[in-house]
Amino acid sequence: MGVGFVVGVLGVLILSHAAYSTIQYRALLKITEEEFSGPPINVVVELIAGLMLCMWAALTVPGKFLSILPHSDENRVVALPENLDFMIFNHRGKAIPMGIDAKLK
Amino acid sequence: MAGRVDSDKLKEKASDNLNDLPTFNAENMQNNAKVMYYSRTFMSIIGGVVAGILGLTGLMGFVFYFLIMGITSAGLAAKAGFSIHSYFDSWNKILLDGFFGGLMSFVLFWTFAYDIVHIF
Repeated sequence: MGVGFVVGVLGVLILSHAAYSTIQYRALLKITEEEFSGPPINVVVELIAGLMLCMWAALTVPGKFLSILPHSDENRVVALPENLDFMIFNHRGKAIPMGIDAKLK
Repeated sequence: MAGRVDSDKLKEKASDNLNDLPTFNAENMQNNAKVMYYSRTFMSIIGGVVAGILGLTGLMGFVFYFLIMGITSAGLAAKAGFSIHSYFDSWNKILLDGFFGGLMSFVLFWTFAYDIVHIF
């Protein structure tokens, strides 16, 4: 989360620097009264670099994909029935000290 | 007679009757959809800003948007390791989900960046 976030911020900073360079380039064009046909090549390179960094951040920051198969290893506890019909509370478990595994989450 | 039928039933395992694969783990499916939505929205915004800085107008801008979305879909497929079936239930979800939702954000940031860079 930390690294991806920093990379994303860096990408956004590069993009804003590219925007600033383009604004200055347009001011220059206004002085020489030429047409704007495209930003200069170094701005294009900067934009591509910023885009790559932001793409990497967009794919890693939001989180991992979790498996949806019901029988995969990390989904093991999902098969427990959760409705009250199957829950019995009046059993010998009340004699055992509480050591419930947090896996139920 | 009844006893024999019962022992046949006892030999079946519980997993034989499970046609469980159509019912997936809903919470994880939601999590995956959320991750994809965030990724696509962020990439549409960044794509809009880049399109504005480049000075794209008209149809070229929308072509650029589809290009960005295609690259994002490829990136998401790579993130899932190309074994889509353990994370999503169909190919359509990973390719098309949120495709047009990002279009509005793209146009917003495209006009925003274009105005800042080229008009002011």
